[in-house]
Amino acid sequence: MADTNSLKEQKPQISPIKGKLSWLWSEYSVIIAFIIIFIAASVLSPRFLDMNNQLNILMQVSIIGIVALGMTIVMLSGGIDLSVGSVLVLVGVVTVLALNATGSIWIAVLTAFIVGSIAGFLNGIMVAKGRIASFIATLGMMAAARSIALYIAEGGSISGEVSGFTAIANNNLWIFDYPIIIFLIMTVLVYILMHKTRFGRHVYAIGSNEKAALLSAIRVDRIKIGVYSLAGLLVSIAAIIETSRLNSISSSSSGVQYELDAIAAVIIGGTRMTGGRGKIIGTFFGVLILGILNNMMNLMNVSPHLQGFVKGLIIIIAVVFQKRE
Amino acid sequence: MTTSPFMTMNNIDKSFNGVSVLKKVTFHVAQGEIHALLGENGAGKSTLMNILGGVHPFDNGSIQINGEEVKITNPRAAQEYGISFIHQELNVVSDLRVYENMFLGSEIRTRYGFLKVDEMCQKTNEILAKLGVDIDPKEYVRNLETSYKQLIEISKALLHKSKLIIMDEPTTSLADHEVKRLFGLMNNLKQSGVSIIYISHKLKEIKEVCDRYTVLRDGELVGNGSMEEENLDTITKLMVGKSISQERLIQKHTFGSEVLEVNNLSSPGSFSNISFTLKKGEIAGFTGLAGDGRTELFESLFGYRKTYTGDIKINNQLTKIDHPRKAVKAGLGLVPKDRKENAIIKDLSVIHNMSLSSIGHFERMAFIQDKLEKERFQYYKEKLNIKVHNPRVTIDKLSGGNQQKVIIAKWLEVDTDIIIFDNPTQGIDIGAKQEIYHQIVSLAEQGKAVVILSSEAPEILKICHQIYVMFQGEITASFKGEEVTEDEIMSYATGSKREANEIG
Ligand SMILES: Nc1ncnc2c1ncn2[C@@H]1O[C@H](COP(=O)(O)OP(=O)(O)OP(=O)(O)O)[C@@H](O)[C@H]1O
Ligand SMILES: [Mg+2]
Repeated sequence: MADTNSLKEQKPQISPIKGKLSWLWSEYSVIIAFIIIFIAASVLSPRFLDMNNQLNILMQVSIIGIVALGMTIVMLSGGIDLSVGSVLVLVGVVTVLALNATGSIWIAVLTAFIVGSIAGFLNGIMVAKGRIASFIATLGMMAAARSIALYIAEGGSISGEVSGFTAIANNNLWIFDYPIIIFLIMTVLVYILMHKTRFGRHVYAIGSNEKAALLSAIRVDRIKIGVYSLAGLLVSIAAIIETSRLNSISSSSSGVQYELDAIAAVIIGGTRMTGGRGKIIGTFFGVLILGILNNMMNLMNVSPHLQGFVKGLIIIIAVVFQKRE
Repeated sequence: MTTSPFMTMNNIDKSFNGVSVLKKVTFHVAQGEIHALLGENGAGKSTLMNILGGVHPFDNGSIQINGEEVKITNPRAAQEYGISFIHQELNVVSDLRVYENMFLGSEIRTRYGFLKVDEMCQKTNEILAKLGVDIDPKEYVRNLETSYKQLIEISKALLHKSKLIIMDEPTTSLADHEVKRLFGLMNNLKQSGVSIIYISHKLKEIKEVCDRYTVLRDGELVGNGSMEEENLDTITKLMVGKSISQERLIQKHTFGSEVLEVNNLSSPGSFSNISFTLKKGEIAGFTGLAGDGRTELFESLFGYRKTYTGDIKINNQLTKIDHPRKAVKAGLGLVPKDRKENAIIKDLSVIHNMSLSSIGHFERMAFIQDKLEKERFQYYKEKLNIKVHNPRVTIDKLSGGNQQKVIIAKWLEVDTDIIIFDNPTQGIDIGAKQEIYHQIVSLAEQGKAVVILSSEAPEILKICHQIYVMFQGEITASFKGEEVTEDEIMSYATGSKREANEIG
């Protein structure tokens, strides 16, 4: 009878260690990928490790980084925001107008916050109350916001006429430029928001199972509106930095494809497209990975036309690896 | 019947992340038998079946079919060996039609690759008819009652010419007459030589339909044998280590003031003219067949559905509830049925699922305190005997019954004055069930008003003071809990009897 013990080779009990390793990988794959890319970069180019170059990378990613934080929240809730680049431009244009009209940097900053949040709020209303798919709603916003910016600036760029506005992006604290500091602070704040407050918990719940979230007495609509408004607010912070950096903004060429870079960073960071799963820390490292890649391609004189190809490849590799859960 | 087993699993070991879940489990199934696989929540039943069905690999051991060693590396391979699997959690795709679900992955096509829709619909009809189900194969699954979804899952497994069918708690959402039909079908299959592995926590069903049994406890084989030679009490003892009384829980507390009054509540197509009242300390039961409207009724009370007419008074105040949040504010909680769809947030941890609806209890200065959450979870873990190695893992890593316990804990923590439990013991083992009944009774003793919705008459009979029977959206009878029998409930639930005098 088949009752006799089958004398199969007894595999050694490696499963606990293997389990730990696979856990480490699934939780921190983006950090591991970051370390690998970082080491590879320092081997490939001696200039990479240079302190100035490192700070340069951070500076360059700060704007997309702040946008990507907002994008992470939106994507965790199960949506997407394609309008970030256009809203950034619109905010930038209106901010410069406000700056020039009032001469007050504070009013300019406040205007930026208001315009950014309102654009986000409208996205949120369309998604939550209008039940429009976020892809479509924000695609509409993307077209509309850019168009208004072009109209206001008559298709060109407008520059600030108030001295001191450029300080926001160009001054530094010790060796750190303000944008880097703002990016780091925003990362910490958003991290706390998403992992230590009920808002964050509710966003995850909605992204994971919206019906169950509603039956758990979560105000799903309000949270969604909050999510998009917050993303808009973060975009406005990025817009202030962008505008301040060159003291001007171009209604036609600023902010182009920012949504793609932000989404790429979020995905490389391990956030799931359908929501409910992902981490702020992941996005932070996703942003850094993209920054290092850009930097390396410049250091190694890769044609700018090919850089998109490399980026695309990396995104796809990242997603393939995350598929293996 | 042949003497040598059709399928054997030998010395199966399995661990998840270093936690051992199955320890040298050996399991035989003969040809043409219905074999009960029993054990507490988290004993390892589903895991063992997932190994047989090619969902998970085992660490050590071997599987033989007809005496030959086989490697079942994925679900498709299992199907090729003639094994069909009805999973514990529903896997239907809501956005597809009934027949599309039935033939998902095995569509019938013409030579040119076009779908033969008519043929698929016809076959769907045939199978569903055997189960006594009358639904349009072209209906979208999302529009169907849960019991129908479960029946579709079952039919899907029957579609293939299988030699072994694994049924992991197939009847959790089914009403009695649907279960009867299923059993008839299972007996026919058995006659034609098909083996069935049947997992259930409903011992009555097991006694009725199974030939042999195997009991697991904490991942170890603790007993097996023939059903006829054993009485249920011994099997219960094997499973949970003690015997369980089937008696009605006696409660002698007095009721307080009226907390809920419902007048003439109607919603076209779901329920009509519902009136009842509920007092503090009272446990009311609502029962009936699937599709009797009770779930829709209480989802409306809870603010999840909004298209109804009629009055709801809570604490004598006319209340308009249009969002679950407002319901909770007004003192109404709802433990929904179908945890996978309605309650489980599978990406959140066990602890975070528990605290989701009562996050205010764990906040200090607007920040959630991990420590408070963890302590509170520990409390429920002991109270409800939730089996979980590390409560920080996502909830989908728990066994079905343990997930359900977490959902119950979640609503106990919200602690509303009125708690509605919809099919609360879905997938919960008999030992833990008893514990949950005691919990519910003690809630009532503390002065909470409780409503229990269940299609299991024995469950309702066991603890309810007042029993309402619903049929096609109406309350057709109401009884005192101690004054009615299961048969009487059935006759009203099936519509063969109606109470002459209106209740209210
Ligand atoms: N994917 C997984 N990852 C980690 N642990 C798991 C996983 N699946 C199951 N387990 C653990 O294995 C144990 C056995 O679970 P299993 O689902 O087999 O129980 P069960 O006997 O089917 O219980 P129930 O009656 O509640 O359905 C549980 O302790 C569970 O936490
Ligand atoms: Mg199970």
